[in-house]
Amino acid sequence: MNSQQPLLEGRDVYKFFGGLAAVNGVDFAVYPGEIVGLIGPNGSGKTTLFDCLTRLQSIDRGQIFFKGQEITHARPYQVARMGLARTFQVIRVYRKMTVLENMLISRQWRGEGLLDMLRPSHPDTERRARELIRFLQIEHLTDELAGHLSGGQRRLLEIGMALMPDPDILLLDEATSGINPTLIEIIKDRIRTLNREQGKTFLLIEHNINFIADLCSRVYVLNFGEKLAEGAPEEIMENEAVIEAYFGA
Amino acid sequence: MSALTQTARPSLLRRWGGLALWLLLLLLLAIYPYTGVTGSTLFTATQVFVLVTLASNWNLIGGMTGYVDFGHAVFFGLGAYSMGILVTRVPLAFSPELSFWQALPLAGLVAALFALIIGLPTLRLKGPYFSIAMLGTFVAMREIIRILRPITGGGTGLDLPPVLNRVNEYYFMLGLMGLVVALIWWIRRSEFGYTLIAIREDEIGAEMRGINTTVHKIIAFMIAAFFTGIVGAFWAWQNTYIDPDVVFIEQRTVEMVMMSMLGGLGTVWGPPLGAVVIYFLQDVVWGNLLNFHLMALGILLILLVLFLPEGILGSLGDPSSTSLGRLLRRAGRGRE
Repeated sequence: MNSQQPLLEGRDVYKFFGGLAAVNGVDFAVYPGEIVGLIGPNGSGKTTLFDCLTRLQSIDRGQIFFKGQEITHARPYQVARMGLARTFQVIRVYRKMTVLENMLISRQWRGEGLLDMLRPSHPDTERRARELIRFLQIEHLTDELAGHLSGGQRRLLEIGMALMPDPDILLLDEATSGINPTLIEIIKDRIRTLNREQGKTFLLIEHNINFIADLCSRVYVLNFGEKLAEGAPEEIMENEAVIEAYFGA
Repeated sequence: MSALTQTARPSLLRRWGGLALWLLLLLLLAIYPYTGVTGSTLFTATQVFVLVTLASNWNLIGGMTGYVDFGHAVFFGLGAYSMGILVTRVPLAFSPELSFWQALPLAGLVAALFALIIGLPTLRLKGPYFSIAMLGTFVAMREIIRILRPITGGGTGLDLPPVLNRVNEYYFMLGLMGLVVALIWWIRRSEFGYTLIAIREDEIGAEMRGINTTVHKIIAFMIAAFFTGIVGAFWAWQNTYIDPDVVFIEQRTVEMVMMSMLGGLGTVWGPPLGAVVIYFLQDVVWGNLLNFHLMALGILLILLVLFLPEGILGSLGDPSSTSLGRLLRRAGRGRE
């Protein structure tokens, strides 16, 4: 058992949509420096749980903690400023801005006043943006409008935007969905590098089991909004309940 | 490339050229009264400056932030009535008989304060719900003004001190228009401006990325309201008479929306261009289709939405993604 304080923790989290329990009493914890997977069949509540953790949705019962502070009732921008960043199942980028502009607007917010914000972007911000663009191998697209990029390129941009404020933890929602194997390897490599060299923590929703197995030290499995299993990837893949949930009896 | 990307510098001309041209235009317009023009011509020019200023203000909240305000003329009306109440010699429950220059900033502040009060609940609404809520606010304010007769003069209206000085009026509006458009130009290039565009493009994404969208929207709303209130205050002074049915007219908001759309929503120079075009179109329509001018304007609005939703300048920006661009490409393929 990890003796450290969890970086991100949910205690007895419930989220209802009418009579449907999308998240049904889920407990989980992600510790600093981990890469944790979150898998489950379609409709199992994975994205809803992400939405609850990032405060895009409010929860109906339970508590959420980030860096030891309760964030159950915080606004999304407050949680983002604390160091929690995410990507989305359906890619969210600013289509009418360039790649560089998307990165710059995703910078770390320090509570500046209006007079500060009436200035153009700080040179350090732009330097970081360009470094991340190079890191994600989309340098040739720097001045392209985000709306003109392919799906895979927009995925990389979205990851870059999540990295821009230098978060403590990144929640990536199906980052490999709909993209080609070469790009998947790039994303995998970038996650490993960030985790190894900068100690970044990741929580990954994925349907790509190989991706999860290659990266994650621990995996949670959800089914019908409940935690079905938790453990190392190899344990999860041999878990009968998990196999039944994915493939039926 | 934009001023947001400070260290990846485009040419000096590209960064400052627009503002330089604007200042040159202002200089030429400043000289214009000395070229022997009549008071009537100066009055016409002043009305164009009023429209440019109103369109640019509306564009800040409607075009750049994406909150289409169908009741924005309420701030014009509040500014007009603040000026009226503060300067009138008519005995009211509160009539301090201030001067124009004393009353002017107060009129803007009243409008901005109202924007803060009404913005907090209404800016939580999305899309058409916000638009309708503001339209409702506009209609309600007209009736409130009518009812509060001891303070506003009610349905009989208010007389303001008669001051006729076309030259002073011309220079006042020229200065205000110059200031507002330059401010919009600066905002568009600043982090604040790009934050507003991020909110317009994807408010949820913006909030998830650390932007306090409520504060940013409120600030944009208050800035737009302040200067719209100032224009209303000037209009009241120039008109020397106000009543609810003269001040609170729906057409004023429709004109702001049309001018911004025609020129290009979210662009800096689009609304001023749209204002000039709309003014002269209205002049042509008034002169030739007096009985049908509202219908003609309505048809123009429909055509605008169908074929030029990005506006003139917006369509020039990215032909592959604009309705006009696609139409022209299809027409070109048909001729081949």
